[in-house]
Amino acid sequence: MIKFSINGKTVEGESGEMVLHVARRHGFEIPAHCHHDGVEPFGSCRLCLVEITHQDWRGWKGLVTSCLYPIEEGLQVTTDNEEIHRVRTVLVDLLLGRCPDAPAVQKLAADFGIAKSSYAEHPERPLCTLCTLCVRACEAVGANAIGTTRRGWGRTIGTPFDLPPEACVGCGTCARICPTGAIPCREDEHSRHIWERDFAFARCESCGRPLMTEAHRALVAQRSGLAASYFVRCDQCKRDDMAKVFSQIAR
Amino acid sequence: MKRYLVTPTRCTACRSCELACSFRHGAFGLPGRTRIRTYLFGENKNVPLTCMQCEQAACVSACPVSALVRNSATGAIEVVDARCIGCQACVGACPFGAIAMLDKQPIAYKCDLCGGEPACVAFCPTKALEYRECSPPLVR
Repeated sequence: MIKFSINGKTVEGESGEMVLHVARRHGFEIPAHCHHDGVEPFGSCRLCLVEITHQDWRGWKGLVTSCLYPIEEGLQVTTDNEEIHRVRTVLVDLLLGRCPDAPAVQKLAADFGIAKSSYAEHPERPLCTLCTLCVRACEAVGANAIGTTRRGWGRTIGTPFDLPPEACVGCGTCARICPTGAIPCREDEHSRHIWERDFAFARCESCGRPLMTEAHRALVAQRSGLAASYFVRCDQCKRDDMAKVFSQIAR
Repeated sequence: MKRYLVTPTRCTACRSCELACSFRHGAFGLPGRTRIRTYLFGENKNVPLTCMQCEQAACVSACPVSALVRNSATGAIEVVDARCIGCQACVGACPFGAIAMLDKQPIAYKCDLCGGEPACVAFCPTKALEYRECSPPLVR
């Protein structure tokens, strides 16, 4: 256990935990846009900036992204003060300048009292904030199909060579996790269309209802080590069958 | 440790457990959002079916982000909402069809034994559902 303080209150965390995680667990509110507990921290939005210092640091203070800063013994964290608020406001202002049409960004801006960005608006008004949650989720799923492409002003979320990605399994997690709905994904009863590719849904072998996509099913079976037979029927048919079994053994 | 016991022969298929479950988990009595369902097979053959909290759970193996975690106090496998990325691998993997996805947020939901006080058990009028201390063997 590592002891340190947040806003003067002593808290404890496990070695290797990040400041943001421990702070939120203890009820401290720190804003963040690109954070998700399920995927690796990345620090792209930088809204979770906190001020850190230490009694051994001879007065040195610094702003760090709390999602990426591992806790250490005796650390003194401040989650909000005038300087932190000023920096966060600039960051949100910049985000709103890039993505004036994204509802999640508009809401964030409203929380900071910004109605309209003081910076020039991005001419293409993208929905994507480049938070890379989609990239990290894709990595977690195990497909590694998308990434950030190009640099600087032209940086985007994309696929290798801007081609329909071979590694994509069409699970749709990137589109679902995107906080601004920037990844187009549509589906009908037969297939899901994402990243310029069509992915056929596997079918329940009993009733024919759509399950996950064929490719996603193969990937999950391979990564989990579960037999393919786990994935051939829909949840409703599985329940029906199990209930039938239990009704036969019930006395 | 307490165990969740189902005795199908005592079940009258009143579906109180389904209502209790959906109310307890904020679905305001929407029967479609219950985590326990009763199946009818004629005379004295009603089977309330919910998560088995498997020892070696397929959902846990399938989850790529460790969002399904065993609560050591209750024995239930719980979804850590903040970690779930909505990939639906657990839904496909569960051999009992006991996991589903919420419509509004892409997060999996399943029986969590209400943190140790299952609402379905409290509302079951015939003790077809029980949550109590019991030593193995569990099959009766």
